Amino acid sequence: MDRLTRGLTAFFTYAFLGIMAFLSVFPFIWMVLGATNTSIDIIKGKVGIGTALLDNIRAFNAAVDVPLVFWNSIKIALISTALTLIVASLAGYGFEVFRSKYRERVYSAILLTLMVPFAALMIPLFVMMGKFGLINTHWAVILPTLGSAFVIFYFRQSTKAFPSELRDAARVDGLKEWQIFLLIYVPVMRSTYAAAFIIVFMASWNNYLWPLIVLQSNEMKTITLVVSSMASAYYPDFGAVMVSAILATLPTLIVFFVMQRQFVQGMTGSIK
Amino acid sequence: MAMSELSLKSVRKTFGALEVIKGVDLEIEKGEFTVFVGPSGCGKSTLLRMIAGLEDISSGDLEISGERMNETDPSKRGIAMVFQSYALYPHLTVRQNMGFALRFAGVPKAEIEKQVMDAARILELEKLLDRKPKALSGGQRQRVAIGRAIVRHPKVFLFDEPLSNLDAELRVHMRVEIAKLHKKLGATVVYVTHDQVEAMTLADKIVVLRDGRIEQVGSPLQLYSDPDNRFVAGFIGSPKMNFLPATAVTTNGQPSIRLDASGIVLPAGHLATRLAEGTKLVAGLRPEIFKDGGDSSLLLDIEMVEHLGSETLVHARSGETLVTVKYGGIRPMKDGETVRAEFDAASVLFFGADDQRIR
Repeated sequence: MDRLTRGLTAFFTYAFLGIMAFLSVFPFIWMVLGATNTSIDIIKGKVGIGTALLDNIRAFNAAVDVPLVFWNSIKIALISTALTLIVASLAGYGFEVFRSKYRERVYSAILLTLMVPFAALMIPLFVMMGKFGLINTHWAVILPTLGSAFVIFYFRQSTKAFPSELRDAARVDGLKEWQIFLLIYVPVMRSTYAAAFIIVFMASWNNYLWPLIVLQSNEMKTITLVVSSMASAYYPDFGAVMVSAILATLPTLIVFFVMQRQFVQGMTGSIK
Repeated sequence: MAMSELSLKSVRKTFGALEVIKGVDLEIEKGEFTVFVGPSGCGKSTLLRMIAGLEDISSGDLEISGERMNETDPSKRGIAMVFQSYALYPHLTVRQNMGFALRFAGVPKAEIEKQVMDAARILELEKLLDRKPKALSGGQRQRVAIGRAIVRHPKVFLFDEPLSNLDAELRVHMRVEIAKLHKKLGATVVYVTHDQVEAMTLADKIVVLRDGRIEQVGSPLQLYSDPDNRFVAGFIGSPKMNFLPATAVTTNGQPSIRLDASGIVLPAGHLATRLAEGTKLVAGLRPEIFKDGGDSSLLLDIEMVEHLGSETLVHARSGETLVTVKYGGIRPMKDGETVRAEFDAASVLFFGADDQRIR
C-alpha cells in the first residue's frame, strides 16, 4: 500500500514535470524544425525535418539587412546593460553602505516605481524623448532602462553579503571610497555582476514594446522588431520567420551558457 | 616622563542620543601589549575602531606618538589593523594582499617585494605567496592578515578579536605565535578580546571595560589578585569568583565579617576601612583558594562534581548561594555529599553594597 502510494506520487510528479518540460521546450523544437520547412507545411502543422532551410535563410536574408539589425540590437543591449550595471551597482552599494536619515525613504520611493506599469509610462516617456529630440535614435531605447529599480534592489540585496570588514581594511590601507568600490567591491562581487549582466542583457535584447514605439525608420530597428514585423506581414513567410526567431534567440542563449556558472553563483549570493 | 605611544583623553562616542563610549582616559606606552576585555557590547571594539579611524571620535582627544589624530585618515595614523574575519581581499593573492597598502602609499615595487618577503619569512608564509585566500586554512589566513599589518611597520598594531574564528587548538597555537611576534618586533599592540585567557596570557596591561567605561587598568596579575570592584573580580579568573553575602560584625571586640549563609566569621582587622556594625557587604572567594589545611572553612552541599583529571571542579551550595570550588588533581567526591571546604581567610576579598572593593 505504502509502496503503491509512493509509486503513484512519483508517477504524477514525473507526469506533471514532463508536461511542464514539454510546454517549455516544444516551442523551441518547433522553431528549429519550422526553419527547415516551407511556410505551407508549417501552417499545416508539420512537425518534422524539412528541406527548405536554405530557401528560408535566403528569403530572410533578402527581406532583412541582417548585419545592420544585429548590430542595432547588440549595440543597444550592450550599452544599456553596461550603463545599467554601473548605475545600479553604485546605487545598490551606496544604499547599503552609507548611513543617512533619508536613505530608506529614497530607497522606498525607487522601489515604488516597480509598481507602476510600463503602459502608464509610455506616453510621458515618449513626450520626454520627443522634447530631448531623441525619437528614432537608439538613446531613446537605452536611457529609460538605466535607473532600473529591480537591478538596484538586486545589487543592494547582494551587497548585504559584502563583508564590511573588507571596506574597513581598505580604508586602513589608504583607499578612497571610489577606489574601494572599483578595486575591492567590483572584483569581489563579480558573480553578482555576471548574474545582473545576463538578466539585463536578456531584457534589453528581448525588449519589444518600447523600441517599437520610438524606433521608426528601418535602419534603426532591432531584431525583435524585425521578427515581429515579418510575422505580421500580409503574407508572412513562416519559414523565414522561424529563421529570424532562431537568430534572435541565439545571442541570449550564448550569453547564458557562457556565464551560467557565474549566474548561478550570483543568484545564490556566494562571495569567494 | 616618557611620552606615551598612544593616548586617549576623555574620549567619547555617541550614536545619536546613545552614548557608547563614556569618557575614556588611557595611556599606552611604546612596546606595550594592551588588551581590552569586557562583555559583549561594552564598547571595546568601538574604542579600537575609533583608534583606527574607522569610527569618528565624538569628543576628546586621540594622540599617537604625541600627535593629535582625531581627524587623520586611517591610513595616515601609523596604525595597522587585523580583523576578526581576517578581511583579506579574496580576489588578490597572498603577495598582493600583503603589499596592497604599500602599493597605495606609492612605495616602489622592489621595496614592496622586499617588505612582503621579510614579513612572509617571519610568519613562514613564503610557500603560500601566490595562493588566493580561499586556498588557505583559517590559521594561514590569520597569519596573512598579520603579515599585511607587519609590512606597514606601524607604530601601533590593532587586533580586533583576531582568534575568535579559529578552532580551540589553533587558537592556542596562534596565541603563542602572536606573543612571540610581539617579543620579536617589540611593537605596541592594542588587542581586543572577550576571552580572558587570551587577555591574561598576552597582555602587559589589561583594560577592563564595561558599558563604555574603563573599570580598571592593570597587569593581569594585578587585576586577578587586587581587583578594584566586583565586576573586575568576577570577570577575571576562571571559574568565576564566588560572591557570598556577608555582614560586618564585632567579635570579641575585633572587627569581623560574618558570612550570612554559613555564619562563618572572618577577621577584618587587616582592612583599612572601618565598617559600621551591620554593614551589608559581599565576600569574594576565588574557587582556587580552597585547599586542605586552611584556617577557615565552609560547609558545602555538593550538587555536581566535574572530574577534569588535572583538577576537580565542585559545584555546591552554601545555604542559597552557589559556590564553585577548584581542587588540583583528582578528588574522590560525589554528587549529594556534604563536605567541609577549607580556605585561608586572608585570601578573601570584600566588596561594599556599591560593588567597590573594601580594602
